[in-house]
Amino acid sequence: MLTVKNLSKRFGSLTAVDSVSFRVQPGEVFGLLGPNGAGKSTTINMIVGVLVPDGGAVEINSGGSPVDPGVRRNIGNAPQSLAIYGDLTAEENLRFFGRLYGLTGARLRERVDWSLELAALTDRKGDRVDVFSGGMQRRLNLACALVHDPSLVLLDEPTAGVDPQSRNMIFEKIELMKSEGRAVVYTTHYMEEAQRLCDRVAIIDHGRILDLDSVDALIDRHGGISNITIELDPDAAIPTDLPGRIEDHFLRLESDRPLEQIAQISARGLVFRSLHVERPDLERVFLNLTGRRLRD
Amino acid sequence: MHAVFTLALKDILQLWRNKFGLFWVIAFPLLMALFFGSIFSGGGSAVRTMKIAFIENQSSDAQAFLAELQRSEVLDIRPMSLDSARASVARGRLTAYIQFIQADARQASVWSPSKDSIQVGIDPSRKAEAGYLQGLISQAYFARISRKFTDPQEFRKEMNRSLESMDSAYGLSAEQKGLLRGAFTQLDTFMSSVNAADSASAHAGNPFGSLNLSFTDVANVTVGPRSSWEITFPQSLLWALIGCAATFALSIVMERTHGTYLRLRLAPISRLQILAGKGLACFLSCVFVCTTLMAFGAIVFHVKISSVVLMSLAIISAAFCFVGMMMLISVLGKSERTVMGSGWSILLIFSMIGGGMVPLMFMPPWIASLSNLSPMKWCVLAFEGAIWRGFAFADMILPLAILWSIGFVGFFIGTIVLIKSES
Ligand SMILES: Nc1ncnc2c1ncn2[C@@H]1O[C@H](COP(=O)(O)OP(=O)(O)O)[C@@H](O)[C@H]1O
Ligand SMILES: [Mg+2]
Repeated sequence: MLTVKNLSKRFGSLTAVDSVSFRVQPGEVFGLLGPNGAGKSTTINMIVGVLVPDGGAVEINSGGSPVDPGVRRNIGNAPQSLAIYGDLTAEENLRFFGRLYGLTGARLRERVDWSLELAALTDRKGDRVDVFSGGMQRRLNLACALVHDPSLVLLDEPTAGVDPQSRNMIFEKIELMKSEGRAVVYTTHYMEEAQRLCDRVAIIDHGRILDLDSVDALIDRHGGISNITIELDPDAAIPTDLPGRIEDHFLRLESDRPLEQIAQISARGLVFRSLHVERPDLERVFLNLTGRRLRD
Repeated sequence: MHAVFTLALKDILQLWRNKFGLFWVIAFPLLMALFFGSIFSGGGSAVRTMKIAFIENQSSDAQAFLAELQRSEVLDIRPMSLDSARASVARGRLTAYIQFIQADARQASVWSPSKDSIQVGIDPSRKAEAGYLQGLISQAYFARISRKFTDPQEFRKEMNRSLESMDSAYGLSAEQKGLLRGAFTQLDTFMSSVNAADSASAHAGNPFGSLNLSFTDVANVTVGPRSSWEITFPQSLLWALIGCAATFALSIVMERTHGTYLRLRLAPISRLQILAGKGLACFLSCVFVCTTLMAFGAIVFHVKISSVVLMSLAIISAAFCFVGMMMLISVLGKSERTVMGSGWSILLIFSMIGGGMVPLMFMPPWIASLSNLSPMKWCVLAFEGAIWRGFAFADMILPLAILWSIGFVGFFIGTIVLIKSES
């Protein structure tokens, strides 16, 4: 579906994107996770053909370049900064962008209605976009990227500045797109989003991909140990040869195989009042990879 | 082409929604036309001085008539030959010319009414001024006659001339001539003794003369603005064009600052199509607004378009020129502020020297030559050419060619700069 090979882009002395490569399959949600300024938007802009790469290549549907308008017809992009007309209504925005992609007549009407439904804006379709809330504008920004029914969808931080309700709605739509077999590239600096949505994630920093894999594999590889907290019965005697350290009646230990460890402790006949396992997350992965947190 | 129209229609819809933009594009130009048009036409023709030519004629009667005309404060009279006077009227520099044709002295005398004739050459469309001028001429003529008969000196001169002409007159017998001469001689003696002051108060009336006043239409003349509206409406078209260019230049910048330009770039259309869409929207708006204003001027203020074909050509060419300027202005800066600031200053300065504020015809020569540098001048000239300058197609070629050239150059440079500034 999408193949990115050694993509590079420099702005003056700054290397914004440095030899980035990845592939995205149909029906896959691919995440680009990195802090602000990592080069996510620059990468997206090269994929959609708005920026000319200094090196490397983008191939869409085996060999097509986004410079070719025919190839762009299959790409939908919701830019990071809202790209909709405030003085037009939601419906007029969708009709306009639909027409630009060559839709007309009944097909246009059908796609516009579908997109309004997707953005949950059907009953507000005649209102000017100016008066919409930030979340509604984001949803319309997303819908405008989908009105022409693209098979490759690029979403650049689609939840920026969005209320929780709209955010959940957007997540559902992305899962729907995935189930429809579209390829989705999703950029974010929220690790929870990447973790929830993405089949595979590329961790990107300073324009370079540090690692790329499924969320689980990344955590296994770079997450390190899990933190286990077991609350024991305060009235029972606590053996002294337990692993980890005892604070009051709390047993705290770190392990890269938490389940096995818990099973061993439990086999000694100890009564657990509560059990808490803190698995490492992508935040931890990023911290371990870069020595910095995703968000400062 | 479908995409270009889609883009253009979207922009026109946005303009329609943008009440502030609409004000600059149509309300303000119309206000300019109405405001200045009514200031200039304020007192009507009676208050303005009327520039007329008096066809050179050294005869004493003609000079006396001229002297009488010059008493009128309204008339600004200059002597001229018939040919140059006719040309000046034709070009609209003068309202009319007046030619005094003296009756044949041998056939006229106090006894047989003189048939002086006065020819007035005037633009047939200037009906109101013609009527007014007729009144002034009659007044001057009869003032002269009455002076002739109330001034003993004048009267004696006239009588002597009659005596002379009598000698050669046909159809009088020798006896009759003798009698008349005797009567005249006695009258002459009497008149010479009359106190001038007394006779000045005597009522003379007009028993002897009658004026043969005729108006001639100066051939094919419709040249010269017939009313102040014919000056201010071409100007208002110019303001409408300026409004359109500024509005659409701003809309290009806004596409960029609001991110929608990025989405246009993502669509399966070329950059040239995007710009062509903007250009088309600007062009259509210019043509529509100019046509509407012109129709309004024609219907309500009787602005007479002498050639609808040339007017259409002028509007189309001016619209194209302003599309080019719009493209140039749109790349003057990257923020809405800089583009609006620098765009309006440039447009206003061009407009100032190009006749958008002070009509070209009232400009001192040095500004008039400076105005050649302003695209606006050529727009106004083309509009006026089709309205009252009586341009033939050949006269139109220069202004139209200049407008098209500016349009092409502007579009070309604007496009290149825009594309360069992206990568
Ligand atoms: N047009 C540009 N000109 C100069 N520098 C740019 C431009 N676009 C992005 N950059 C720089 O490139 C880097 C990557 O930016 P970007 O791709 O927007 O990051 P992200 O989307 O991951 O936050 C940043 O340091 C940014 O300042
Ligand atoms: Mg970004």
